[in-house]
Amino acid sequence: MQEFTWPDRTAETELALDLEKAVLRREFEQRLEECGTLAFRVARGVLRNAADAEDVAQEALLRAYRRVALLRDPARFRAWLVRISFRLALDHLRSARRRERRETVWATDVPKPTAEDIAASNEFGRRLQEAMESLPKKSRLVLLLASMDGHSLEEVASVLQLPLGTVKSRLHSARKQLAEKLR
Amino acid sequence: MNCDQSVQASLETAANGRAPTGNLAAHLEQCATCQASFHREQDLFTAIDHSLRKGVNEEPRASFLADVRVQLSKETLAKPGSNAVWAVTGATLAVVLIAMLYPLVNSRQPRVQGNLQAATVRAPQSTGGTQPARTFSVDSGLRSGKYSGEHSAATSTAGQEPEVLVPPDEQKAFAQFVARVAGRDAMAEAVVIPAADKTAARNADLPEVPSVNMADLKLDRAEPGEWMDETGGSE
Repeated sequence: MQEFTWPDRTAETELALDLEKAVLRREFEQRLEECGTLAFRVARGVLRNAADAEDVAQEALLRAYRRVALLRDPARFRAWLVRISFRLALDHLRSARRRERRETVWATDVPKPTAEDIAASNEFGRRLQEAMESLPKKSRLVLLLASMDGHSLEEVASVLQLPLGTVKSRLHSARKQLAEKLR
Repeated sequence: MNCDQSVQASLETAANGRAPTGNLAAHLEQCATCQASFHREQDLFTAIDHSLRKGVNEEPRASFLADVRVQLSKETLAKPGSNAVWAVTGATLAVVLIAMLYPLVNSRQPRVQGNLQAATVRAPQSTGGTQPARTFSVDSGLRSGKYSGEHSAATSTAGQEPEVLVPPDEQKAFAQFVARVAGRDAMAEAVVIPAADKTAARNADLPEVPSVNMADLKLDRAEPGEWMDETGGSE
């Protein structure tokens, strides 16, 4: 798509805008080192496999990049990116579920899993994933962020722009709900 | 602390990831069942935490960030200051809209204010009945404009009668309507006026006719031919 240009814009203005874009781009690439992995981990916490999580994280980063100039408070970049990744991952999970259901209906000659397959599968992980999906989104995001290495509860509160007490109570409640479902 | 209380306290303590203290610790030392239950809860929460950490702290492929950079190089960055551009554009559009709408609003304004100076068009009274005169108030533009000659009897009674506000483009049609209504007032009065009055008025115009005594009338049987009209049919 061709960019719109103002007819009365001088070369100096264009140059200044290009410079500003270059600065934003450099800043974003610096953030990418730190936040790229964060976006991936948030997506991985929602999705079951790393490949899907990478796709989702990449899409989240591209979206953030397209709109980074419009972000008024750069300090909130991490919170913004976490939310984008989380939302995209949930969307991805939902569409994967729909696809799975369609394929289950139409596939008639899918081989049944053997006893070895069942034994090899991580039953607890699957049940945990199901239990996670039944949690409220707010609690789920707190649980994911709090489970990340190097994320203290204070940092989770800072990323989500929530009071520390709220983070603690959501975390406690989420863990109890998970245990209830897995017991 | 009994066992029921201990189960609940164990759950809370394990969920918080703390070691048992106080009454709970004392009870767990005495009760092997509760102690086993507490350890099960602890194991469950440990397994949850372990599984969550395992999934969440997985590292992406080494080429992940490089791939993202490649994609970023193909992307167009949103123009810096786009918000300001939109704000200025919006403000400009608002000013232009106001400038366009102001004359329209202003042209309608005198009609509202003109109520106080509204002239009244009185429907001409064709009969001398006792009905109150029907009046319509229109703004002064009606008299000064297209509709002025036909209703020279217009009197200013604004404030006494109900007013009808007429937009300028409908004044002519309204004037015609008023004229028609005025013309029909005579007909309406003729219908509404009491029957006795109508009879009196009609009798005044008729010539005097002597009264006829029914007994004096001689009734003869009519011949069949007398009932036939010119076409040969009967009534």
